[in-house]
Amino acid sequence: MATPVHAADDSLAKVQQKGTLVMGTSPDYAPYEFLVNQHGKNVVVGMDVEIAKKIAKDIGVKLVIKQMDFDSLLVGLQTGKVDMVLSAMTPTDERRQSVDFSKIYYKGGQDIVVNKADAKVYKNHQSFVDKKVGAQTGSLQADLVKKQMPESSLLGLTKVTDLILALKSHKVEGVVMEEAVASAYVQNDNQLALIPGKFDLGSDENGTAIGFAKGSTSLVNAANRSIDAIQKQKLLPQYLKQAGRYMQTNTTNTSMFHYWRFFAKGIGYTLLITAISVLIGVVLGVFLALMRLGKVKVLHALAVAYIEFVRGTPLMIQVMFVYFGIGIFIDIPALIAGIIAVSLNSGAYVAEIIRGGIESIPVGQTEAARSLGLSQRLTMQTVVLPQALRNIWPALGNEFISLIKESSIVSIIGVTDLIYQLKVVQTATYKGVQPIIVAMVIYFVLTFGLSKLLGHYERKMKHDEGTN
Amino acid sequence: MTKALIEIKHLVKKFGDNVVLNDISETINQGDVIVVIGASGGGKSTFLRSLNLLNQPTSGEIDFEGTDLTSLSEKQLDQVREKMGMVFQQFNLFPNMTVLENIKLAPMKVKQADDAAATAKAQALLKQVGLEEKADAYPSSLSGGQMQRVAIARALAMEPDVMLFDEPTSALDPEMVGEVLKVMQDLAKSGMTMIVVTHEMGFAREVADQVWFMDAGVIAEKGTPEEIFTAPKEARTKDFLSKVLAQ
Ligand SMILES: Nc1ncnc2c1ncn2[C@@H]1O[C@H](COP(=O)(O)OP(=O)(O)O)[C@@H](O)[C@H]1O
Ligand SMILES: [Mg+2]
Repeated sequence: MATPVHAADDSLAKVQQKGTLVMGTSPDYAPYEFLVNQHGKNVVVGMDVEIAKKIAKDIGVKLVIKQMDFDSLLVGLQTGKVDMVLSAMTPTDERRQSVDFSKIYYKGGQDIVVNKADAKVYKNHQSFVDKKVGAQTGSLQADLVKKQMPESSLLGLTKVTDLILALKSHKVEGVVMEEAVASAYVQNDNQLALIPGKFDLGSDENGTAIGFAKGSTSLVNAANRSIDAIQKQKLLPQYLKQAGRYMQTNTTNTSMFHYWRFFAKGIGYTLLITAISVLIGVVLGVFLALMRLGKVKVLHALAVAYIEFVRGTPLMIQVMFVYFGIGIFIDIPALIAGIIAVSLNSGAYVAEIIRGGIESIPVGQTEAARSLGLSQRLTMQTVVLPQALRNIWPALGNEFISLIKESSIVSIIGVTDLIYQLKVVQTATYKGVQPIIVAMVIYFVLTFGLSKLLGHYERKMKHDEGTN
Repeated sequence: MTKALIEIKHLVKKFGDNVVLNDISETINQGDVIVVIGASGGGKSTFLRSLNLLNQPTSGEIDFEGTDLTSLSEKQLDQVREKMGMVFQQFNLFPNMTVLENIKLAPMKVKQADDAAATAKAQALLKQVGLEEKADAYPSSLSGGQMQRVAIARALAMEPDVMLFDEPTSALDPEMVGEVLKVMQDLAKSGMTMIVVTHEMGFAREVADQVWFMDAGVIAEKGTPEEIFTAPKEARTKDFLSKVLAQ
């Protein structure tokens, strides 16, 4: 292998060696990046994807797209989960401290989306005196509202879809958006209209660039060469047009029924994650409970520490820790990371349920078993645990049901569970409320149906053994 | 020829500062039926549970068939405990198993008996205690007297060399006491070594070889039923008996 001239930076060589360029993106931002349904599969498309393809082609490798929550993208870069981030990202000074950026590849104006009925009332950003205006939290647009619309008050939300919802329900009178995004929404929703923002955009901070891990100069240079080529050949308008076509195919049929596959896939993943996690959780919980109840001090302390720590930290952080933290050492797919995190979490809760179950068994049961010559282990296995598990069956069922709901947090690392799919449908259809209602009904049917089913088996089990 | 089965040497048991068994030394011979009487709180249960080391003695020795149990490992103790059947006031049947499964559990799990042999043995024992038709019933469907007879059968399934009874009829309705005592009496007749804590003075009089009166952590007085019931020597024995027999 030839040694690179700049020995410190082998980022480009590494990408070429593995043959893939991994792009991280949060595909909920048409026309930059969004999902379309092609032959029953979700595919990420958009202007950013076209740019990424071009870079990959110029380097001579294959492009791989990894979907993540926008907030997780930079962490993804730092932990090596992705090689670059294209997600309509503005290279702010703050971000520059943790990652490197390519040159700006697209600079759009800033526009304001309003309800069509109000299109005559508002002219530009100065028309919103004493009115509420929406923008994405932490975005350049939010900054513009604060600095250049001092007479308006700002409502910050993370998702564009939610901002549009707020607009339609008159929580805000206008939403400040990047030009390309704004026109995407207006073109696909005839209740919306676009007015020019007419902001003072002096600085060069209002474009979008590609993010790379710090120190990957050779990769940044390669990307800059591709961006130059794109600009020279005037490819961007072409990319945008193509994205628009995708958006139209997306919105030709926006009935929720048309998207049943999305929801079905989400249900499948939600149930898969929950079921596996509960199974692992029960096994782990039994061991933790036995450790906690046991006489070996070290094991007891370990179990207590584990249980208290897991129960004392949010599942969301645990999910991120497993995916990004442990992901530094071994590359685990998001689904596996999600299952691991939810299982580890469930284990702690199940351990306490099982401990309660074991402690509820009268000590006479243990004494009777021991007096018959059963070892401590056999006593636990054949006498105490079976009774304990039977007693805690309802509590375990509840744990399962609450995990169905709580596992939704894995959507932040891009696991395509029901919540994730809900957002996908929201962005694909430009409809905010309907997918929420569908997902809500699905969750309810799942949890209610399950609790009925569990109740049925609980009664049946009692019946089989004869009650007092 | 009488042969010592259990030799208790300077047995002391403390719970914290509370001295519950205060230096007890006694011998139990093979085939003996010993009835332990005494007021509540005198340490009878603790004494019985010290014999199979469900309670770890604070000091002293329990020699069973020539081995000092207090020197054994947990594993060796498990093997000894199967030879010392125990019957509890609260029956302690396993509610998640049928009567038959309750009896078969230890023979199969501990002695690795095969299912057919264990079942046959369990059925014979159920016949012995008069409950062969209850084999497939769950404990919750049995009366107290029936449960206690199953518990006796369960202990007998391990073919113990001694049976320990801790107030086996105290939790029973009066009309059920008789059926349990009858089973115990038959067992005594068959030559089983038995140590029975009970308030059933009639049973003591009829079945016991020796009656031990226990009070404040010591065996305050012992003798044949005749000696204890008709001519007790100790004042506290007299006091106890007058209270019990007055009822
Ligand atoms: N596990 C225990 N912990 C603390 N004290 C106990 C325990 N078991 C019994 N004791 C005490 O030992 C004494 C004797 O109890 P016990 O052996 O049950 O008497 P008896 O069976 O004659 O009524 C009582 O004072 C009781 O409070
Ligand atoms: Mg007692």
